[in-house]
Amino acid sequence: MSPEVLRVFPSDINTDEIISGKYKYDELDMGRLAVHTFESIDKSFYNDAKSKKDLIIVAAKNFGCGSSREQAPQVLKACGISCIIAESFARIFYRNCFNIGLPAIECKDIAEKVSKGDELEIDFEAGTIKNLTKGETYKFKPIPNYIREILDAGGLIPLLKKKGGF
Amino acid sequence: MNQAQTMAEKILSNKIKKDVYAGDMIISPIDLAFAHDGTLPLAIEKMEEMESRKVFDKDRVLVICDHASPSPSEKVSNVHIMMRRFAKENGLRLYENGDGICHQIVLEKFSAPYKVIVGADSHTCTHGGLGAFATGMGSTDIAAAMIYGKTWFKVPEAYKIEANGTLKTNVFSKDLFLYIAGKIGADGATYMSLEFLGSTIRDMSIESRLTMTNMAIEVGAKCGIMEGDERTKEFLRRYGREKEFKELSPDKDAAYKEELYIDSEDIEPMVAYPHKVDNVAPVSDYAGLEIDQVCIGSCTNGRLEDLRIAAKILKGKKSKSRLVVYPASRDILIKAIKEGLIDILVDAGAAVCPPGCGFCIGRTIALGDGEVALSTQNRNFKGRMGNNNAEIYLCSPATAAVSAINGKITYPDI
Ligand code: SF4
Repeated sequence: MSPEVLRVFPSDINTDEIISGKYKYDELDMGRLAVHTFESIDKSFYNDAKSKKDLIIVAAKNFGCGSSREQAPQVLKACGISCIIAESFARIFYRNCFNIGLPAIECKDIAEKVSKGDELEIDFEAGTIKNLTKGETYKFKPIPNYIREILDAGGLIPLLKKKGGF
Repeated sequence: MNQAQTMAEKILSNKIKKDVYAGDMIISPIDLAFAHDGTLPLAIEKMEEMESRKVFDKDRVLVICDHASPSPSEKVSNVHIMMRRFAKENGLRLYENGDGICHQIVLEKFSAPYKVIVGADSHTCTHGGLGAFATGMGSTDIAAAMIYGKTWFKVPEAYKIEANGTLKTNVFSKDLFLYIAGKIGADGATYMSLEFLGSTIRDMSIESRLTMTNMAIEVGAKCGIMEGDERTKEFLRRYGREKEFKELSPDKDAAYKEELYIDSEDIEPMVAYPHKVDNVAPVSDYAGLEIDQVCIGSCTNGRLEDLRIAAKILKGKKSKSRLVVYPASRDILIKAIKEGLIDILVDAGAAVCPPGCGFCIGRTIALGDGEVALSTQNRNFKGRMGNNNAEIYLCSPATAAVSAINGKITYPDI
């Protein structure tokens, strides 16, 4: 089974919408915090995510804007999201994703091309996304080498541990 | 001759002692890393994963209790205990209840031209108002920076914002920035260094400049930078740090990815309406809208000149809306008391609260269902002030004060 698109979000989804700031003092356990993912804009997100495996979310522009809260990509990962594809990402969120070993891919017009439920096959080497449901292939901007190194190590911490620093 | 450089390129080149340009990947030493009660706990956890709770240099790491401070709950109090323990172990300076908002503290104690500053808070871009390269990061990046004293950057492309001319008397740097956000959009400067130039900026106080660099992240920028000039020097002198001054300006032929030119005379007082910062309109479009609470403060507009404007307008008047004021730091609060500003604000009906983030993130004071707030902060996202069913409008301190008197959004005829 290839990963399935759980949701397609519009532009400018901010980190307060992904996980409200009001919970961040209460919980360092991401599995428990994840229950509140998207709760202000998409109440069934958590339960839908939990009923499935290997999920992708897709968004239009500027996904993850707002605060530097690393809990945002963390709860998405805890919900079982294995990759985020967007037309563009907010900078801090993008960096946070790779730091925790969650790939974030930038692909032009992706939010118009795929629909909820589509199965996608992602080839990081070739920089292509195959939409198995629609029979289409899209190209994406290759992930820069340095960031690829972080991703391949499983995140910034494993990488720094391996290299013994920067 | 070397290629011309933007301010971001100059600062980073100076730091790593090698000429670098937009697009280069670099590993740079940092001058300061900081985190607050909203982000430090996760950073400590990440440091533990790296098997080290020890910071690279105790004088270059700061921790601040500001987001939920004074602590409103048992859980937050325990977070603060954890922060105190971490600070003590490392011999760090820890800023406590009532000391102020992380950015204001760092501005007063640390920021200066050519410094490279990383903070576990998205509004770290504020420090570019004093000529620093400063950017917000997540807890993992900050944990690594705290341990190693280094981080990686992609040298950003630059977006030049040039504003020339004199602002109208009722128009402030907040209005100018909201205008810019409306023009370029919430993702208009994504990954870029927003570099502010022109006579309007040069004529502004440092405080007004900081309001604009503070909001650089609201258009997606990695950092916002302003020139280091006489006013920068004067600000540093006020805090006994004149020695840290260096002149900063971009080279004449520096390459910009985007450019925006503004005639400052044309700008009107602005608001950002819910729930996005780039939803901007002239104040007059929303005049008459009833508001429940007016909030003056935050790292955007909680400085002395903001309190002065508010006090000037509110002097001898009563606020119809609930009015909340959070000075951005202890230093500002003390100066405001000495100038008699706090008397005026309290007399006008304000609840003046201890310096900290307060209303801005809804942790120590929250809105009720269906309420409308008019605030001088930088974000109006849904749920930002602690309630998903509330609405937030953003404006300058002048518009906030005039509107408080009427209990309605009001054009600042001042
Ligand atoms: S005042 Fe608001 S924007 Fe500024 S640091 Fe505090 S919570 Fe963040």
